Amino acid sequence: MKLSRLLFFILLLASSRSLHAQMVDLEDESKLYASSKQVNQFFRRFNGEEDEKGNRYYEGDKQYRSTKLRKKYLGILFDASNKGMTDAVKTDFAKNVLDKSLLLDFHGGNWFSEVHTTFTQNGKDQPITLFMALEKDHLGYKWVIQRVYADMFAPYFARDTMKVGKFLHPLSHELDFMNLRKAFINSDSVSQFAAKSFKPDHLSLFLYEIKKGTLKFKTVNEVKFHFFQIDGWYFELAQFNRPGYNTGWLISSLTKLNTLADMDALRKYLYYETK
Amino acid sequence: MATYRYTYCTLLLLCLSLTAPLWAQTGEISKERKQAIDSLALEKVRDLSKYISIIGNKKTAFSEANRVMDRAEELFAPGSEMGVSALNRKEVNYYKVRKYFERLMALNYDRVTIQWYDIHYISDLERQPDGRYVGVVTVYQRFEGTSDDGLKYKDTTKKDITIYVERKKTQIAGRTVEFWDVMLGDIRVTETSA
Repeated sequence: MKLSRLLFFILLLASSRSLHAQMVDLEDESKLYASSKQVNQFFRRFNGEEDEKGNRYYEGDKQYRSTKLRKKYLGILFDASNKGMTDAVKTDFAKNVLDKSLLLDFHGGNWFSEVHTTFTQNGKDQPITLFMALEKDHLGYKWVIQRVYADMFAPYFARDTMKVGKFLHPLSHELDFMNLRKAFINSDSVSQFAAKSFKPDHLSLFLYEIKKGTLKFKTVNEVKFHFFQIDGWYFELAQFNRPGYNTGWLISSLTKLNTLADMDALRKYLYYETK
Repeated sequence: MATYRYTYCTLLLLCLSLTAPLWAQTGEISKERKQAIDSLALEKVRDLSKYISIIGNKKTAFSEANRVMDRAEELFAPGSEMGVSALNRKEVNYYKVRKYFERLMALNYDRVTIQWYDIHYISDLERQPDGRYVGVVTVYQRFEGTSDDGLKYKDTTKKDITIYVERKKTQIAGRTVEFWDVMLGDIRVTETSA
């Protein structure tokens, strides 16, 4: 399999090299051809919308979204080093995708990005995860911050709802809630007075801290994507910058979702939600 | 007068017939238009590649390098930045385009060779909220720096170059002519081990 893939790309390269490419050795360049260089290329390869050189196929072209082409590409779109993704699961996924002609749609929703960043607060680095999604706006689309998760905010919301903690008794209203004074004395326990259904919103805090000027952007460390577009499946897309032919944007994790509850549980896990 | 009106109508129809399939009401860009824009974008990227090679070349005179930096800067939309990371350092460092060129020129090697791989990848064009189109062109560059004392450094970097595509208007001999313009934007530079 590996040998045939290598041969495939070397042949492809030999047919595509032009005169001013002489300075770079053949093997190096064949690896670059093999790599899924952009997320855009991952989409096109998944859908069977381009040739081996990256030239786009359009509707009406013979090869456009052909099953044969898609089958060939699907084989190289997985992170081969991840032994957790068994051949059986990958084959099941590919069969499902090809049998039902399922495609990825850039504007189709149900996929989002997880961006690991570093901000600084009072000179200290703080890791913050941004969940980004595409949103339609005016004449086109834009990436927006849909959610945020930050370790620095999490401890402030930790609370144990299982035990009887501190509370405002049910007749507090008759005393004009004068017991609020005692409730707010200890800032550690203040979250116990929030409703059971309360869900901490890190995005609001994040925006607040930035507007206040206490949180400053430093850098992006890592980007990956989560796809729920293929009915009954979830996969993660990550970038692999390493030697060899299995590089670029590849499926790094694949899970079959048997029920809607599976999907909800996975989404919550990805968003660091505890309930 | 009748001849003039006839010629004018023919020209107008010709313009419409040329532009209608290329610029549909939905704002979609046709295959033919996309291919023309890709060529234009690649031309700008090749210009940039050429300028980078000249700026990095130790034999380029200071004044010439500065002139080339001016030319290179003209390819970019205002405020464009380079985001640079290395294999052993995931953190991205951000530089204004001019600053990046100046750092390239000031590199402490006696000989610098910058070569470009033949391969390139051009993304689809996506429309932004302001109506402009955006795409990304990926190219690869090999850098080799050698000092007189024998020290050698080499790397291969992937450059993901933003391109902005905009329909503009200009006046030629009193007539308004529409054309497509391509500007370069932010560039992500990643050291690659592929």
